[in-house]
Amino acid sequence: MDQALGAADTPTVYFNVQRYDPEVDAKPRYDRFAVPYEPGMTVLQGLLWILDHVDGSLALRYSCREAACGSCAMLVNGWYRLACKTQVKDLRSKEITVQPLPHYPVIKDLVVDMSGFFAKYRAVQPYLVGGDGQRAVEPASGPGAPAPEEVAPGREFRQSPADRAAFEDATICILCGACTSSCPSFWTNPDYLGPAALLKGYRFAADTRDCLAERVPLLSGEDGIYRCHTIFNCTAACPKEIPITEALQSLKRMASRRLLGGGGGGGRQAAR
Amino acid sequence: MWAWLFHRISGLALVFYLFLHLMVLSSATAGPAAFDRAMEELHSPLFLALDLLLLLAVLYHGLNGIRVVLFDLGLGVRRQAALFWMVMVLTALVLLAAVAVTWPFLFGGGRAG
Repeated sequence: MDQALGAADTPTVYFNVQRYDPEVDAKPRYDRFAVPYEPGMTVLQGLLWILDHVDGSLALRYSCREAACGSCAMLVNGWYRLACKTQVKDLRSKEITVQPLPHYPVIKDLVVDMSGFFAKYRAVQPYLVGGDGQRAVEPASGPGAPAPEEVAPGREFRQSPADRAAFEDATICILCGACTSSCPSFWTNPDYLGPAALLKGYRFAADTRDCLAERVPLLSGEDGIYRCHTIFNCTAACPKEIPITEALQSLKRMASRRLLGGGGGGGRQAAR
Repeated sequence: MWAWLFHRISGLALVFYLFLHLMVLSSATAGPAAFDRAMEELHSPLFLALDLLLLLAVLYHGLNGIRVVLFDLGLGVRRQAALFWMVMVLTALVLLAAVAVTWPFLFGGGRAG
């Protein structure tokens, strides 16, 4: 215990941290830590202070400390947040409750098992698909886009700024897992791909260089896009403020257009 | 999430009501006397109050259904919260009007129908 850092005139905040080691504990418990507050302090800084000065056995994930790596998503005062991006001041409370992201198995304390999450991420093939002459058979549009006859295998696939801008929002996902953790469709069906994987699917489905005919079946199966019931929890939970539900709705229209055969090659354009 | 949760709950309530409705209706088919007795009961303040609850479920489920259909058409997805409150306000307004119409029969001793 090194509480000396918290001088008498330093304001104190209290972290109530959920502790749970499934191999040892029967059920989770909460440990309460008095943490000296400093202006500009984030929840992650508070947790690291606890780690350094009070309890080195506290388990948490973090890396970049600047909301770019997506490691430190957790429930802070009952809401999905990145610990590194959350100012203690903005919580407007001296009592801070920190829990791991719900609906993922807890490994220890604030660390959850994301292997299922990343298995779904891989399942949507998060890269451009369509080779063997199939790739980019759908003509790009907008100023600067290549004419359809110019697009051939083994050649550069150019993309206009306008076509890139169409899915800009979906590219800033950092895979923190908050959205999928917040999704009631995922709560009731753990096999559901979930908003994060489907958003990544949309990022490529909306990309003019990707092959929709190969992309859509990856996303529209039994556990795919149609399990989204526009609950909007994902959009509310996203620390990067990505309009996820909107992207998923676009994806649904792309998929149903293909299913109904009305879209032909132009499904991507028409669904926008 | 509340919009979705209320939608599910009102949907289940409406399914439950459908079967209740069929049961009550079939109880009124046993003859003229049974019909009159059923009508008498259905005009009681208790059943009128239940009718208002039914109206609440129908209004919310229907209006929110339109909201969800709009999302499927790609309309108003970014304004979902405002649309939810519109659904709530419309539901409340129509329900209040229905309560105003029903009031004398609920508490005034008047006879409906």
